[in-house]
Amino acid sequence: MDKNYILFKSYNQGLALESLLKKSKIKYTISPTPRQLSVCCGMSIMYYKEDEDNIKKIVKENNIKVLGFYTLNG
Amino acid sequence: MGDYRKLWSNLNMNLEKHDVLCAVLPEIYSKVYLSQNDRPEGMNYFNFVVSEVHGLRIEELDNHKKQGGKVIGTFCVYVPDEVILAAGAIGVGLCGGSQFWIEDGEKVLPRNLCPLIKAFVGAKVSATCPYFQSCDMLVGETTCDGKKKAWEILNDYTPVHVMELPQMKREKNIEDWKMEIKEFISRIEELTGNKITFEKLKETVILCNDKRKALKRLYELRKNIPSPISGLDSLLISQIAFYDDPQRFIQKVNELCDELDERLKSLQPNGKKRILITGTPMAIPNWKMHSIIESLNAEIVVEETCTGTRYFENFVEENANDMDELIENIARRYMKVNCACFTPNAGRIEDIIKYVKEYKADGVIYYNLSFCQTYSVEYKKVEEALNKENIPVMFIETDYSEEDSGQIKTRVEAFIEMI
Repeated sequence: MDKNYILFKSYNQGLALESLLKKSKIKYTISPTPRQLSVCCGMSIMYYKEDEDNIKKIVKENNIKVLGFYTLNG
Repeated sequence: MGDYRKLWSNLNMNLEKHDVLCAVLPEIYSKVYLSQNDRPEGMNYFNFVVSEVHGLRIEELDNHKKQGGKVIGTFCVYVPDEVILAAGAIGVGLCGGSQFWIEDGEKVLPRNLCPLIKAFVGAKVSATCPYFQSCDMLVGETTCDGKKKAWEILNDYTPVHVMELPQMKREKNIEDWKMEIKEFISRIEELTGNKITFEKLKETVILCNDKRKALKRLYELRKNIPSPISGLDSLLISQIAFYDDPQRFIQKVNELCDELDERLKSLQPNGKKRILITGTPMAIPNWKMHSIIESLNAEIVVEETCTGTRYFENFVEENANDMDELIENIARRYMKVNCACFTPNAGRIEDIIKYVKEYKADGVIYYNLSFCQTYSVEYKKVEEALNKENIPVMFIETDYSEEDSGQIKTRVEAFIEMI
Protein backbone atom coordinates (compact mmCIF):
# COMPACT_ATOMS: atom_id res chain seq x y z
CA MET A 1 0.00 0.00 0.00
CA ASP A 2 1.25 3.50 -0.77
CA LYS A 3 2.24 5.63 2.19
CA ASN A 4 1.99 9.39 2.25
CA TYR A 5 4.23 11.66 4.27
CA ILE A 6 4.54 15.36 5.06
CA LEU A 7 8.08 16.50 5.87
CA PHE A 8 8.89 19.63 7.87
CA LYS A 9 11.71 22.10 8.32
CA SER A 10 11.48 21.65 12.07
CA TYR A 11 9.46 19.63 14.54
CA ASN A 12 7.75 22.82 15.75
CA GLN A 13 6.04 23.11 12.39
CA GLY A 14 5.14 19.43 12.50
CA LEU A 15 3.57 19.76 15.93
CA ALA A 16 1.71 22.91 14.84
CA LEU A 17 0.17 21.01 11.93
CA GLU A 18 -0.57 18.06 14.20
CA SER A 19 -2.76 20.14 16.48
CA LEU A 20 -4.60 21.59 13.47
CA LEU A 21 -5.23 18.11 12.06
CA LYS A 22 -6.51 17.00 15.43
CA LYS A 23 -8.86 19.97 15.57
CA SER A 24 -10.13 19.19 12.06
CA LYS A 25 -10.55 15.51 12.99
CA ILE A 26 -8.25 14.39 10.17
CA LYS A 27 -6.56 11.03 10.86
CA TYR A 28 -2.75 11.06 10.89
CA THR A 29 0.21 9.21 12.38
CA ILE A 30 3.48 10.75 13.48
CA SER A 31 6.32 8.71 12.03
CA PRO A 32 10.10 8.77 11.83
CA THR A 33 11.00 10.22 8.43
CA PRO A 34 11.71 7.35 6.03
CA ARG A 35 15.30 7.21 4.86
CA GLN A 36 14.22 7.22 1.21
CA LEU A 37 12.77 10.72 1.68
CA SER A 38 15.50 12.37 3.70
CA VAL A 39 18.80 11.58 5.36
CA CYS A 40 17.94 13.86 8.30
CA CYS A 41 16.52 12.19 11.38
CA GLY A 42 13.25 13.53 12.68
CA MET A 43 9.50 13.41 12.54
CA SER A 44 7.11 13.44 9.63
CA ILE A 45 3.34 13.04 9.45
CA MET A 46 1.69 10.13 7.66
CA TYR A 47 -1.74 10.81 6.21
CA TYR A 48 -4.41 9.32 3.96
CA LYS A 49 -4.36 10.36 0.31
CA GLU A 50 -8.02 11.34 0.37
CA ASP A 51 -7.26 14.03 2.98
CA GLU A 52 -4.41 15.56 0.98
CA ASP A 53 -6.32 18.51 -0.48
CA ASN A 54 -7.80 19.38 2.90
CA ILE A 55 -4.41 19.19 4.59
CA LYS A 56 -2.81 21.34 1.88
CA LYS A 57 -5.49 23.93 2.50
CA ILE A 58 -4.83 23.89 6.25
CA VAL A 59 -1.07 24.16 5.63
CA LYS A 60 -1.57 27.18 3.38
CA GLU A 61 -4.10 28.96 5.57
CA ASN A 62 -1.94 28.59 8.65
CA ASN A 63 1.37 29.23 6.95
CA ILE A 64 2.91 25.96 8.15
CA LYS A 65 6.38 25.51 6.74
CA VAL A 66 6.52 22.10 5.11
CA LEU A 67 9.29 20.62 3.00
CA GLY A 68 6.72 18.86 0.92
CA PHE A 69 4.16 16.08 0.46
CA TYR A 70 5.58 12.71 -0.60
CA THR A 71 4.25 9.30 -1.51
CA LEU A 72 6.21 6.08 -1.16
CA ASN A 73 5.05 3.14 -3.18
CA GLY A 74 4.50 0.19 -0.88
CA MET B 1 12.56 17.67 10.46
CA GLY B 2 15.54 19.32 11.97
CA ASP B 3 19.11 19.13 10.84
CA TYR B 4 20.96 18.12 13.96
CA ARG B 5 24.37 17.45 12.43
CA LYS B 6 25.91 20.56 13.94
CA LEU B 7 24.59 19.63 17.37
CA TRP B 8 25.93 16.07 17.05
CA SER B 9 29.25 17.32 15.79
CA ASN B 10 29.57 19.61 18.84
CA LEU B 11 29.02 16.52 20.99
CA ASN B 12 32.07 14.91 19.33
CA MET B 13 30.01 12.19 17.79
CA ASN B 14 31.19 9.83 15.10
CA LEU B 15 28.80 11.20 12.50
CA GLU B 16 29.49 8.65 9.83
CA LYS B 17 28.83 5.71 12.08
CA HIS B 18 25.87 7.40 13.77
CA ASP B 19 24.35 7.86 10.35
CA VAL B 20 24.23 4.08 9.93
CA LEU B 21 22.24 3.86 13.17
CA CYS B 22 19.86 6.63 12.09
CA ALA B 23 19.27 4.87 8.80
CA VAL B 24 17.79 1.73 10.33
CA LEU B 25 15.47 3.23 12.95
CA PRO B 26 12.62 4.46 10.72
CA GLU B 27 12.25 1.12 9.00
CA ILE B 28 12.37 -0.96 12.20
CA TYR B 29 9.95 1.34 13.97
CA SER B 30 7.52 1.30 11.06
CA LYS B 31 7.68 -2.47 10.88
CA VAL B 32 7.30 -3.14 14.62
CA TYR B 33 5.14 -0.24 15.79
CA LEU B 34 3.34 1.58 13.01
CA SER B 35 2.10 -1.67 11.47
CA GLN B 36 -0.04 -2.42 14.56
CA ASN B 37 -3.77 -2.09 14.00
CA ASP B 38 -6.02 0.28 15.86
CA ARG B 39 -3.43 1.98 18.03
CA PRO B 40 -4.60 4.67 20.46
CA GLU B 41 -4.20 8.17 19.04
CA GLY B 42 -2.30 9.14 22.17
CA MET B 43 0.58 6.99 20.91
CA ASN B 44 1.37 9.78 18.45
CA TYR B 45 3.27 11.57 21.19
CA PHE B 46 5.46 8.51 21.69
CA ASN B 47 5.90 8.15 17.92
CA PHE B 48 7.09 11.73 18.04
CA VAL B 49 9.58 11.07 20.83
CA VAL B 50 11.04 8.10 18.94
CA SER B 51 11.19 10.07 15.70
CA GLU B 52 13.07 12.83 17.50
CA VAL B 53 15.03 10.47 19.75
CA HIS B 54 18.39 11.89 18.69
CA GLY B 55 16.96 15.32 17.88
CA LEU B 56 14.53 17.23 20.06
CA ARG B 57 15.51 15.72 23.42
CA ILE B 58 19.23 16.16 22.65
CA GLU B 59 18.53 19.78 21.75
CA GLU B 60 16.76 20.18 25.10
CA LEU B 61 19.77 18.72 26.91
CA ASP B 62 22.03 21.06 24.94
CA ASN B 63 19.97 24.12 25.90
CA HIS B 64 20.01 23.00 29.53
CA LYS B 65 23.80 22.69 29.42
CA LYS B 66 24.18 26.09 27.75
CA GLN B 67 22.41 27.57 30.76
CA GLY B 68 24.91 25.90 33.06
CA GLY B 69 22.80 22.81 33.82
CA LYS B 70 24.24 19.32 34.09
CA VAL B 71 23.18 16.05 32.48
CA ILE B 72 23.61 12.80 34.38
CA GLY B 73 23.44 9.34 32.86
CA THR B 74 22.08 6.38 34.81
CA PHE B 75 21.71 2.65 34.17
CA CYS B 76 19.49 1.25 36.85
CA VAL B 77 16.15 1.72 38.59
CA TYR B 78 17.89 1.86 41.98
CA VAL B 79 19.49 5.23 41.23
CA PRO B 80 17.19 7.85 42.79
CA ASP B 81 16.10 10.34 40.12
CA GLU B 82 14.74 12.51 42.92
CA VAL B 83 18.27 13.55 43.87
CA ILE B 84 19.34 14.39 40.31
CA LEU B 85 16.24 16.50 39.67
CA ALA B 86 16.46 18.26 43.05
CA ALA B 87 19.85 19.66 42.04
CA GLY B 88 18.37 21.08 38.84
CA ALA B 89 20.13 18.45 36.74
CA ILE B 90 18.56 16.23 34.09
CA GLY B 91 18.83 12.45 34.39
CA VAL B 92 18.83 10.18 31.36
CA GLY B 93 18.64 6.38 31.35
CA LEU B 94 21.42 5.01 29.18
CA CYS B 95 20.90 1.26 28.99
CA GLY B 96 21.56 0.12 25.46
CA GLY B 97 19.07 -2.10 23.68
CA SER B 98 20.48 -2.20 20.16
CA GLN B 99 22.51 -4.89 18.41
CA PHE B 100 24.21 -2.00 16.59
CA TRP B 101 26.47 -1.29 19.59
CA ILE B 102 27.46 -4.90 20.37
CA GLU B 103 30.38 -5.03 17.95
CA ASP B 104 32.03 -1.96 19.48
CA GLY B 105 31.29 -3.23 22.97
CA GLU B 106 33.04 -6.48 22.19
CA LYS B 107 36.18 -4.59 21.23
CA VAL B 108 36.75 -3.74 24.90
CA LEU B 109 34.68 -6.40 26.71
CA PRO B 110 34.57 -10.21 26.67
CA ARG B 111 32.01 -11.64 24.28
CA ASN B 112 30.40 -13.82 26.94
CA LEU B 113 28.84 -10.87 28.71
CA CYS B 114 25.25 -9.69 28.73
CA PRO B 115 24.23 -7.70 25.64
CA LEU B 116 22.96 -4.79 27.73
CA ILE B 117 26.43 -4.07 29.10
CA LYS B 118 28.12 -4.67 25.76
CA ALA B 119 25.63 -2.32 24.09
CA PHE B 120 25.99 0.59 26.51
CA VAL B 121 29.77 0.36 26.57
CA GLY B 122 29.76 0.06 22.77
CA ALA B 123 27.54 3.13 22.52
CA LYS B 124 30.08 5.16 24.50
CA VAL B 125 33.31 3.93 22.92
CA SER B 126 31.91 4.35 19.41
CA ALA B 127 30.64 7.87 20.20
CA THR B 128 27.35 7.15 18.46
CA CYS B 129 24.86 7.86 21.26
CA PRO B 130 24.12 11.57 21.73
CA TYR B 131 22.74 10.90 25.23
CA PHE B 132 26.05 9.46 26.37
CA GLN B 133 27.87 12.33 24.66
CA SER B 134 25.71 14.86 26.54
CA CYS B 135 26.49 13.46 29.99
CA ASP B 136 28.66 15.34 32.50
CA MET B 137 28.66 12.36 34.82
CA LEU B 138 27.54 8.71 34.79
CA VAL B 139 26.09 6.93 37.80
CA GLY B 140 26.88 3.25 38.06
CA GLU B 141 25.77 0.79 40.70
CA THR B 142 26.84 -2.64 41.89
CA THR B 143 23.97 -4.78 40.64
CA CYS B 144 26.18 -7.29 38.82
CA ASP B 145 29.82 -8.14 38.26
CA GLY B 146 29.78 -7.20 34.59
CA LYS B 147 28.50 -3.71 35.33
CA LYS B 148 30.89 -3.21 38.24
CA LYS B 149 33.88 -3.72 35.99
CA ALA B 150 32.36 -1.82 33.06
CA TRP B 151 32.27 1.37 35.15
CA GLU B 152 36.06 1.29 35.28
CA ILE B 153 36.19 1.30 31.50
CA LEU B 154 33.56 4.03 31.12
CA ASN B 155 35.39 6.17 33.66
CA ASP B 156 38.14 6.67 31.07
CA TYR B 157 35.58 8.53 28.95
CA THR B 158 33.23 10.27 31.43
CA PRO B 159 33.51 10.55 35.24
CA VAL B 160 31.55 7.72 36.87
CA HIS B 161 30.09 7.82 40.38
CA VAL B 162 29.36 4.31 41.61
CA MET B 163 26.67 3.67 44.23
CA GLU B 164 27.23 0.54 46.27
CA LEU B 165 23.93 -1.29 46.25
CA PRO B 166 23.52 -3.73 49.15
CA GLN B 167 22.78 -7.32 48.13
CA MET B 168 20.63 -8.22 51.14
CA LYS B 169 17.59 -6.52 52.63
CA ARG B 170 18.30 -6.43 56.36
CA GLU B 171 17.82 -3.21 58.36
CA LYS B 172 21.55 -2.54 58.28
CA ASN B 173 21.51 -2.81 54.48
CA ILE B 174 18.76 -0.21 54.27
CA GLU B 175 20.88 1.99 56.51
CA ASP B 176 23.85 1.45 54.17
CA TRP B 177 21.76 2.43 51.17
CA LYS B 178 20.65 5.57 52.98
CA MET B 179 24.32 6.48 53.47
CA GLU B 180 24.97 5.83 49.78
CA ILE B 181 22.15 8.22 48.89
CA LYS B 182 23.65 10.85 51.19
CA GLU B 183 27.01 10.48 49.46
CA PHE B 184 25.27 10.66 46.10
CA ILE B 185 23.62 13.93 47.18
CA SER B 186 27.04 15.40 48.07
CA ARG B 187 28.52 14.30 44.75
CA ILE B 188 25.62 15.77 42.76
CA GLU B 189 25.78 19.03 44.75
CA GLU B 190 29.48 19.26 44.02
CA LEU B 191 28.96 18.63 40.30
CA THR B 192 26.06 21.03 39.84
CA GLY B 193 27.06 23.66 42.38
CA ASN B 194 23.45 23.55 43.62
CA LYS B 195 22.46 22.78 47.17
CA ILE B 196 19.79 20.10 47.51
CA THR B 197 17.45 21.51 50.13
CA PHE B 198 14.67 19.70 51.96
CA GLU B 199 12.08 21.71 50.02
CA LYS B 200 13.62 20.93 46.64
CA LEU B 201 13.98 17.26 47.41
CA LYS B 202 10.41 17.07 48.61
CA GLU B 203 9.26 18.68 45.35
CA THR B 204 11.09 16.10 43.24
CA VAL B 205 9.91 13.24 45.46
CA ILE B 206 6.37 14.34 44.59
CA LEU B 207 7.28 14.70 40.90
CA CYS B 208 8.78 11.21 40.71
CA ASN B 209 5.81 9.76 42.58
CA ASP B 210 3.52 11.44 40.04
CA LYS B 211 5.46 9.76 37.26
CA ARG B 212 5.07 6.41 39.03
CA LYS B 213 1.35 7.06 39.44
CA ALA B 214 0.95 7.79 35.73
CA LEU B 215 2.66 4.52 34.81
CA LYS B 216 0.67 2.64 37.40
CA ARG B 217 -2.52 4.08 35.93
CA LEU B 218 -1.47 2.79 32.51
CA TYR B 219 -0.70 -0.65 33.90
CA GLU B 220 -4.00 -0.78 35.81
CA LEU B 221 -5.78 -0.33 32.47
CA ARG B 222 -3.96 -3.36 31.10
CA LYS B 223 -5.74 -5.52 33.66
CA ASN B 224 -8.86 -5.24 31.53
CA ILE B 225 -9.77 -8.13 29.18
CA PRO B 226 -8.67 -7.33 26.55
CA SER B 227 -6.02 -4.78 27.39
CA PRO B 228 -6.83 -1.44 25.69
CA ILE B 229 -3.16 -1.09 24.68
CA SER B 230 -0.63 -3.53 23.24
CA GLY B 231 2.33 -4.78 25.24
CA LEU B 232 4.57 -3.27 22.57
CA ASP B 233 3.12 0.21 23.06
CA SER B 234 3.23 -0.10 26.80
CA LEU B 235 6.87 -1.23 26.71
CA LEU B 236 7.76 1.75 24.56
CA ILE B 237 6.18 4.12 27.07
CA SER B 238 8.20 2.53 29.90
CA GLN B 239 11.39 2.85 27.86
CA ILE B 240 10.70 6.50 27.08
CA ALA B 241 10.07 7.19 30.79
CA PHE B 242 13.80 6.85 31.35
CA TYR B 243 14.84 9.87 29.32
CA ASP B 244 11.88 12.09 28.56
CA ASP B 245 11.11 15.33 30.39
CA PRO B 246 9.24 14.07 33.50
CA GLN B 247 6.47 16.68 33.56
CA ARG B 248 5.68 16.37 29.87
CA PHE B 249 5.82 12.59 30.14
CA ILE B 250 3.34 12.52 33.03
CA GLN B 251 0.94 14.75 31.12
CA LYS B 252 1.13 12.67 27.94
CA VAL B 253 0.72 9.33 29.73
CA ASN B 254 -2.33 10.68 31.56
CA GLU B 255 -3.82 11.99 28.30
CA LEU B 256 -3.32 8.56 26.77
CA CYS B 257 -4.94 6.91 29.79
CA ASP B 258 -7.98 9.21 29.42
CA GLU B 259 -8.32 7.90 25.88
CA LEU B 260 -7.88 4.29 27.04
CA ASP B 261 -10.59 4.81 29.68
CA GLU B 262 -12.93 5.66 26.81
CA ARG B 263 -11.76 2.68 24.76
CA LEU B 264 -12.65 0.27 27.53
CA LYS B 265 -16.32 1.06 27.01
CA SER B 266 -16.39 -0.52 23.56
CA LEU B 267 -13.78 -3.29 23.79
CA GLN B 268 -14.84 -6.93 23.49
CA PRO B 269 -12.76 -9.95 24.61
CA ASN B 270 -10.42 -10.94 21.76
CA GLY B 271 -9.49 -14.49 22.81
CA LYS B 272 -5.79 -13.68 22.96
CA LYS B 273 -3.66 -15.44 25.56
CA ARG B 274 -2.54 -13.03 28.26
CA ILE B 275 1.17 -13.17 28.98
CA LEU B 276 3.24 -11.88 31.90
CA ILE B 277 6.89 -11.21 31.10
CA THR B 278 9.36 -11.45 33.92
CA GLY B 279 13.12 -11.10 33.96
CA THR B 280 15.80 -8.80 32.65
CA PRO B 281 15.27 -5.23 31.38
CA MET B 282 14.43 -4.34 27.79
CA ALA B 283 16.23 -1.13 26.93
CA ILE B 284 15.15 0.89 23.91
CA PRO B 285 15.06 -0.24 21.06
CA ASN B 286 14.87 -3.84 22.29
CA TRP B 287 11.35 -4.81 21.23
CA LYS B 288 12.31 -8.34 20.23
CA MET B 289 10.26 -10.50 22.62
CA HIS B 290 7.18 -8.29 22.54
CA SER B 291 7.18 -8.18 18.80
CA ILE B 292 7.52 -11.98 18.52
CA ILE B 293 4.86 -12.72 21.15
CA GLU B 294 2.33 -10.20 19.89
CA SER B 295 2.69 -11.44 16.32
CA LEU B 296 0.98 -14.58 17.66
CA ASN B 297 -2.43 -14.99 19.28
CA ALA B 298 -1.23 -13.37 22.51
CA GLU B 299 -0.98 -10.04 24.27
CA ILE B 300 1.53 -9.03 26.91
CA VAL B 301 -0.39 -7.56 29.82
CA VAL B 302 2.39 -6.86 32.32
CA GLU B 303 6.18 -6.84 32.61
CA GLU B 304 7.75 -7.70 35.96
CA THR B 305 11.05 -6.13 34.88
CA CYS B 306 13.03 -2.94 35.40
CA THR B 307 11.37 -1.57 32.26
CA GLY B 308 8.02 -2.48 33.79
CA THR B 309 6.58 -2.74 37.29
CA ARG B 310 9.90 -2.47 39.15
CA TYR B 311 10.29 1.06 37.84
CA PHE B 312 7.06 2.43 39.25
CA GLU B 313 5.79 0.19 42.05
CA ASN B 314 5.95 1.62 45.60
CA PHE B 315 5.94 5.34 46.22
CA VAL B 316 8.35 7.35 48.32
CA GLU B 317 6.52 8.38 51.50
CA GLU B 318 6.13 12.13 51.03
CA ASN B 319 5.50 12.94 54.69
CA ALA B 320 8.81 13.81 56.31
CA ASN B 321 9.79 16.40 58.87
CA ASP B 322 13.38 16.85 57.87
CA MET B 323 16.01 15.95 55.31
CA ASP B 324 17.16 12.85 57.14
CA GLU B 325 13.66 11.43 57.28
CA LEU B 326 13.06 12.18 53.62
CA ILE B 327 16.29 10.44 52.59
CA GLU B 328 15.27 7.50 54.76
CA ASN B 329 11.91 7.36 52.93
CA ILE B 330 13.71 7.41 49.58
CA ALA B 331 16.08 4.63 50.70
CA ARG B 332 13.19 2.48 51.91
CA ARG B 333 11.24 2.85 48.67
CA TYR B 334 14.18 1.88 46.46
CA MET B 335 15.11 -1.06 48.66
CA LYS B 336 11.67 -2.49 47.93
CA VAL B 337 12.65 -3.09 44.30
CA ASN B 338 13.09 -6.85 43.89
CA CYS B 339 16.12 -7.45 41.69
CA ALA B 340 17.85 -10.81 41.31
CA CYS B 341 21.07 -9.24 42.59
CA PHE B 342 19.63 -9.65 46.13
CA THR B 343 19.81 -12.81 48.20
CA PRO B 344 17.33 -14.08 49.07
CA ASN B 345 14.86 -12.48 46.67
CA ALA B 346 11.54 -14.03 47.68
CA GLY B 347 9.75 -10.70 47.12
CA ARG B 348 10.13 -11.08 43.38
CA ILE B 349 8.39 -14.46 43.37
CA GLU B 350 5.55 -13.03 45.46
CA ASP B 351 5.26 -10.14 42.99
CA ILE B 352 5.09 -12.46 39.96
CA ILE B 353 2.34 -14.60 41.50
CA LYS B 354 0.41 -11.51 42.62
CA TYR B 355 0.63 -10.00 39.12
CA VAL B 356 -0.46 -13.25 37.43
CA LYS B 357 -3.65 -13.06 39.49
CA GLU B 358 -4.22 -9.30 39.22
CA TYR B 359 -3.58 -9.14 35.48
CA LYS B 360 -5.35 -12.46 34.85
CA ALA B 361 -2.33 -13.81 32.97
CA ASP B 362 -2.61 -17.22 31.30
CA GLY B 363 1.12 -17.85 31.39
CA VAL B 364 4.54 -16.46 32.26
CA ILE B 365 7.49 -16.01 29.94
CA TYR B 366 10.77 -15.69 31.79
CA TYR B 367 12.95 -13.43 29.68
CA ASN B 368 16.65 -13.73 30.35
CA LEU B 369 19.34 -11.74 28.57
CA SER B 370 22.20 -14.05 27.63
CA PHE B 371 24.87 -14.36 30.31
CA CYS B 372 22.82 -12.60 32.99
CA GLN B 373 23.68 -15.01 35.77
CA THR B 374 21.61 -13.73 38.68
CA TYR B 375 18.40 -13.94 36.69
CA SER B 376 19.15 -17.27 35.06
CA VAL B 377 20.04 -18.88 38.40
CA GLU B 378 16.94 -17.40 40.02
CA TYR B 379 14.76 -19.11 37.39
CA LYS B 380 14.78 -22.37 39.36
CA LYS B 381 13.12 -20.80 42.40
CA VAL B 382 10.61 -18.91 40.25
CA GLU B 383 9.76 -22.04 38.24
CA GLU B 384 9.22 -24.10 41.39
CA ALA B 385 6.92 -21.50 42.91
CA LEU B 386 4.90 -21.09 39.70
CA ASN B 387 4.58 -24.86 39.24
CA LYS B 388 3.19 -25.07 42.74
CA GLU B 389 0.54 -22.53 41.77
CA ASN B 390 -0.16 -24.32 38.46
CA ILE B 391 0.95 -21.29 36.47
CA PRO B 392 2.53 -22.24 33.11
CA VAL B 393 6.01 -20.80 32.63
CA MET B 394 8.69 -20.96 29.94
CA PHE B 395 12.29 -19.77 29.96
CA ILE B 396 13.81 -17.89 27.05
CA GLU B 397 17.41 -16.81 27.02
CA THR B 398 18.38 -14.54 24.18
CA ASP B 399 20.34 -11.47 23.09
CA TYR B 400 19.62 -8.60 20.69
CA SER B 401 20.40 -10.41 17.43
CA GLU B 402 17.62 -11.65 15.17
CA GLU B 403 19.24 -15.00 14.48
CA ASP B 404 17.13 -16.95 16.96
CA SER B 405 13.85 -15.06 16.37
CA GLY B 406 12.33 -17.85 14.27
CA GLN B 407 13.21 -20.47 16.83
CA ILE B 408 11.80 -18.38 19.70
CA LYS B 409 8.61 -17.81 17.75
CA THR B 410 8.14 -21.56 17.31
CA ARG B 411 8.69 -22.19 21.01
CA VAL B 412 6.34 -19.40 22.11
CA GLU B 413 3.71 -20.56 19.64
CA ALA B 414 3.78 -24.06 21.18
CA PHE B 415 3.61 -22.56 24.67
CA ILE B 416 0.58 -20.42 23.77
CA GLU B 417 -1.22 -23.39 22.27
CA MET B 418 -0.53 -25.41 25.40
CA ILE B 419 -1.80 -22.90 27.98
